[in-house]
Amino acid sequence: MTGDDRWYEAAFVVGITNALNVVADGLGGAPMRQVEPEMAPAEVRTIFADIRAFYGTGGPAADVLGGEIPMPFGLVAHDPGYLADVWAAVRRAFSERRLTRRHKEALAFAVSLTTRSAFGTAFHLAQLRRLGVGERGVMEIVGVTQMFSSYTKIADTLQLASDMADIAPPDASGVPDPGAE
Amino acid sequence: MPTVRLRDASEYPESARRLFELSRQWFDYDFKEPPAMSRVMAWDPHFGGPHGRAMKRAMAPGEFSRGEKEMVAAAVSGVNACTY
Repeated sequence: MTGDDRWYEAAFVVGITNALNVVADGLGGAPMRQVEPEMAPAEVRTIFADIRAFYGTGGPAADVLGGEIPMPFGLVAHDPGYLADVWAAVRRAFSERRLTRRHKEALAFAVSLTTRSAFGTAFHLAQLRRLGVGERGVMEIVGVTQMFSSYTKIADTLQLASDMADIAPPDASGVPDPGAE
Repeated sequence: MPTVRLRDASEYPESARRLFELSRQWFDYDFKEPPAMSRVMAWDPHFGGPHGRAMKRAMAPGEFSRGEKEMVAAAVSGVNACTY
């Protein structure tokens, strides 16, 4: 997994996943209504249609979505311009480029599990399954997440300095990422 | 500064040094001293042994590759704000 472009992609997935989870978990139980697709203005309905297409409908994904629009998008849709930009960033981050969509969903699932996001964990688990990841694959990500949640706390408790930070060779490919869409 | 004094590999018994060799193979890198975490885990083989086996089992190629899993591990470590 060399090449800085892959790490930029991973970082953007981690960041925007956390952003969606913060809104979903923080506001999901608050008295703030989601914008209903039927009542939404045309510009929002267009974005909602793209969101539905990107995440798929039917099966376990639809169960988690609690409808068809993932909660964080329904919540921020009160400001259509803001929704448009957030969605564009999410769509870009999760689109298949150097990293596969499946791998990105695995990253998002692991991050959601680590941050105890009820919304994110269920949502990305459903997405993993929708993308064809079996129970074995899910368990692999659970195992990695669990074991490195142990290693990190042991390292922090003992205040260990990294002895692997210099192993990776410098990436000479240059930035920004010239990778294909 | 670590909370504990990390022992050099030479201070560990032969059984632990064999584990350090496995660690070198796992990382495919010639450390001057075994990684700090390997030396920590070798302090109690009854904890470090099963913990290490569980890690290797989780990290082995399956539906996801070792490289994909290393990136997941890095993301988890980052979210846990762990610089190690």
